[in-house]
Amino acid sequence: METTTETTRVEREVAIAASPETVWEFFVDPDKATRWMGIDASLEPTPGGLYRVEVLPGTVARGEFVELDPPRRAVWTWGWEPGSPSPLPVGASTVAVDLVPTDSGTLVRLTHELPRDTAGRHAEGWEHYLSRLAVAASGADPGTDPWLSR
Amino acid sequence: MDAALKAIAAPRRREILSLVHREELCAGDIAAHFEVTWPAVSQHLTVLKEAGLVDERRSGTQRLYRARPEGLADVKAFVEAFWDPRLEALKREAEREEKRTHGNDD
Repeated sequence: METTTETTRVEREVAIAASPETVWEFFVDPDKATRWMGIDASLEPTPGGLYRVEVLPGTVARGEFVELDPPRRAVWTWGWEPGSPSPLPVGASTVAVDLVPTDSGTLVRLTHELPRDTAGRHAEGWEHYLSRLAVAASGADPGTDPWLSR
Repeated sequence: MDAALKAIAAPRRREILSLVHREELCAGDIAAHFEVTWPAVSQHLTVLKEAGLVDERRSGTQRLYRARPEGLADVKAFVEAFWDPRLEALKREAEREEKRTHGNDD
């Protein structure tokens, strides 16, 4: 069995004219979290605490907080709950957010690490890769994003 | 993207993709791996082909199938497409919140 797993890293940045303290709340306060990334959220911002966001009706991102350093850095695991249309298992990927203070507010750096089978020949690894594609594809559908239709 | 998502939503089609990712196979080889009828396999292959996930070529009387890695697009692009509109929304909401709570400072 020769599986070689490396991670695929997605890095995004956004500059926000708000203090890190203000931005931080949007990652750990359920009421504020739902204002930008879902319709319902249960968040227990403590290491090992629950991270659960219903991103779309029936599509629930779930994981647990790994690291919290308010208002600088938050890390949580990420996957989709069973019943969601996409098969990425809970806890299979990791999201890290760094809030960097700037003169005009905060630079948000989001890093999403997705394991990826590089050998590719291995069926299980390939299945894994396909699962990730399905996740991203479903989440990326702007037509059904309740946020955008508000 | 929708077509690719629908195509890989079926476990059987993911199995077929796994098979033809490893090596180019003829339709009969693929069908032999599964306890389903040839028309069912053929239908799955058509869906995969139309989604751009599988290439078909003829060799003599055979049709050979192989996964198109580029058909899977870059998984990174999909994840980026997931986060980008949300981070824009975060920006909007956080800035609104900042104005609301610190509006009197100006």
